[in-house]
Amino acid sequence: MTTSLQIIARRALGALTAAAVLTGVAWGSAVPLHHHDAHSAYLRLSWSARPERIEVCRTLSDEELSKQAEHMRQRMVCDGTFATYALRVEVDGQMLGESVIRGGGLRHDRPMYLLRDYAVTPGSHRFRVSVTRREQAGDVGYAGAVVPDVDTGRFAGRAAREVSEHARLARAAIPAQLVLDSTFTLLPMRVALVRFDAIERRLEVRVDRSPSS
Amino acid sequence: MIMVQYPLTVNMHALKRVFRRLLGAFEAALTWLYGWRWNPLHQSGTVSVLMLLVLLVTGLYLVLFYRVGAPAESVARIAADPWLGSWIRTLHRYATDVFVVASVVHAVKMFSNDRSWGPRTLAWVSGIALFAIGMILAWTGFVLAWDSFGERLAREGGRLLDVLPVFSEPVSRIFAGDGPVPNAFFFVNLFIHIALPLGMGVAFWLHLSRLARPAIIPPRALAWGMVAALTSISVVRPAPLGPAADPLTLTTSTPVDMVVAWWLPLTERLAPGVVWSLVVVIAVAALLVPRLTRRARVGSWAPSVVDPRLCTGCNQCPQDCPWDAITMVARDDDRGTLVARVDPALCVSCGICAGSCAPMGVGPGGRTGRDQLQALRSGTLPLLHQSNEHPIVVVSCMQAPESHREALRALGAQLHPVSCVGNLHTSAVELLIRNGAAGVIVFGCPPRDCVGREGPRWLYERMFNDREAELQPRVDRRRVQVATMAAGDREATLAAYRSFAASVAGLDAPSAPGVDETDALSDPDLYLCDPVPLAERLS
Repeated sequence: MTTSLQIIARRALGALTAAAVLTGVAWGSAVPLHHHDAHSAYLRLSWSARPERIEVCRTLSDEELSKQAEHMRQRMVCDGTFATYALRVEVDGQMLGESVIRGGGLRHDRPMYLLRDYAVTPGSHRFRVSVTRREQAGDVGYAGAVVPDVDTGRFAGRAAREVSEHARLARAAIPAQLVLDSTFTLLPMRVALVRFDAIERRLEVRVDRSPSS
Repeated sequence: MIMVQYPLTVNMHALKRVFRRLLGAFEAALTWLYGWRWNPLHQSGTVSVLMLLVLLVTGLYLVLFYRVGAPAESVARIAADPWLGSWIRTLHRYATDVFVVASVVHAVKMFSNDRSWGPRTLAWVSGIALFAIGMILAWTGFVLAWDSFGERLAREGGRLLDVLPVFSEPVSRIFAGDGPVPNAFFFVNLFIHIALPLGMGVAFWLHLSRLARPAIIPPRALAWGMVAALTSISVVRPAPLGPAADPLTLTTSTPVDMVVAWWLPLTERLAPGVVWSLVVVIAVAALLVPRLTRRARVGSWAPSVVDPRLCTGCNQCPQDCPWDAITMVARDDDRGTLVARVDPALCVSCGICAGSCAPMGVGPGGRTGRDQLQALRSGTLPLLHQSNEHPIVVVSCMQAPESHREALRALGAQLHPVSCVGNLHTSAVELLIRNGAAGVIVFGCPPRDCVGREGPRWLYERMFNDREAELQPRVDRRRVQVATMAAGDREATLAAYRSFAASVAGLDAPSAPGVDETDALSDPDLYLCDPVPLAERLS
């Protein structure tokens, strides 16, 4: 009899232990973990933009062109690198960050992907973000070059198309100088986002003005 | 027992002992609470599989209502459904947690019980792969919910992935907030979340590929009990869903699943390169465990060998081997039967084959049936002969708890340890009875906790169900008993002994000690099993 009672008591204790373990699993499954201080706010810089290509172009002579296969006869050939940019972030005149940004990839020929978060005290501040090209432009760029169109037949108009393509790429590239100078209020627990508007070719800021719920 | 160790493995063996002690205490406590049949620690591997099944079933329901175009909203809708959605989603989450815990316990148990090297290397490595896949699945699952915790995990994943030269555009920019998170991101997560279990299936197949008759799910009562318990807590306490992710809003705290993402607070503070270095170090260390924990294949770790002169080709040892390490091959002499051959690369030295061979022709060195009889003659039988009474002989596994053995000795039992009860040749039992033992009670480990995997099962079959090599009909079955000895339940051990002693006490006195020692048991040919002719085997 005593043994039976002992077993029943033991099993009851086992049930309680199981309940405690399950409660532990439930608790461990959703532990409130600190993430940000209650008075945090961030200035986030995020964009993807193509760096400007700095190149030196030269016009090939008719003799040089004649040595090429017909489909390779590109009158204007260019060589160069991609620009790098100095990024400066200031808040109320104080430097928050300064760095050099360049295109992605090993050859830095990919778009510049930028994602930076800067902790800022909530409130109204004057923000100044500048992106400045570090290199001088090439002496002989494509846009300024004279491209005589000598192609005929099925390659007719190629030179003009090359000019047009170069112009498109130059327009898509980030300008030599970008500045955002703006004063706005950053609410607690909010992120102000500075992004590059590729159409307007300027930096813009997105601020959520409703308080965090 | 010869113990040879490789120099670099010494510290590992010390670590094993520490884990074994800790786990042993924990197992004993759970046996005390639930009994060995319901001890979940004996079922760590099968509990993991059970949880995977629960995840599969609940996941199928959840995927019906999940929308990649509106992840947070669809999960919130599921969580708000009090009838099914809420508890099924919670059960999915809690099952993940239990899977992680059970898998870790399983690995620690295998490590501490010296089951992580040699023939078990494939199981260890595939187990590591299974766990890694499970963690990735959990990660993607939490991201799919796209609440504040999911976003936090996604950001951390993006931060870690962005230092690898894999993606042309940094993953983290997806969560920057300068555009909605693309549906493709959730689609890819969902695809990984659904496709990876298929990879898990392959790893699982590899994990079990070296086992004969693997136990895949826990005993039915335990399985349903666990599912019912998890369902109950899911209903009573649904897992909270954090606020929907908003890249431009910060949160002071996040409800983090610390069972799965216990590493998150640490990695968030470390540079991605450091985190990857840690991951690589941990992965390499885990994969090197088989190398670092290996034992020299001598002494108790020596693989079984076959004496072809004794092998009758009965085909029993291949059937009993829990690791499929024995095959029957053609003989190189003129006898018309096959002969057993042990593959040392697959043999884990469990010794089960020693108990399966009637003519005692197979087994690890020092543990064959003949060795067992010899050990009895030089050890236990002289003690029986010296005794004026007819003691009960307790045969127990060497893994059995010492406190139980001491208590049995105090009750007057004559103890005879064996490496595993599955090794025990039935002739040894007969020899004990014929030499004056009032009875023989064999205490095995809990069936699902046997280091030889199937020791208690085959022992019982050989003793009472005429499985080769069966206990001979001439042995009085009333004097033989098979029981379970589980750490943490000494009362059960003693109760089984007392009950057996009481039943034996009512029998006539056994034969006088020492009178029968030199009869049939000295001539194994008298109780050979029937050989299977070669022609029949090949047909």
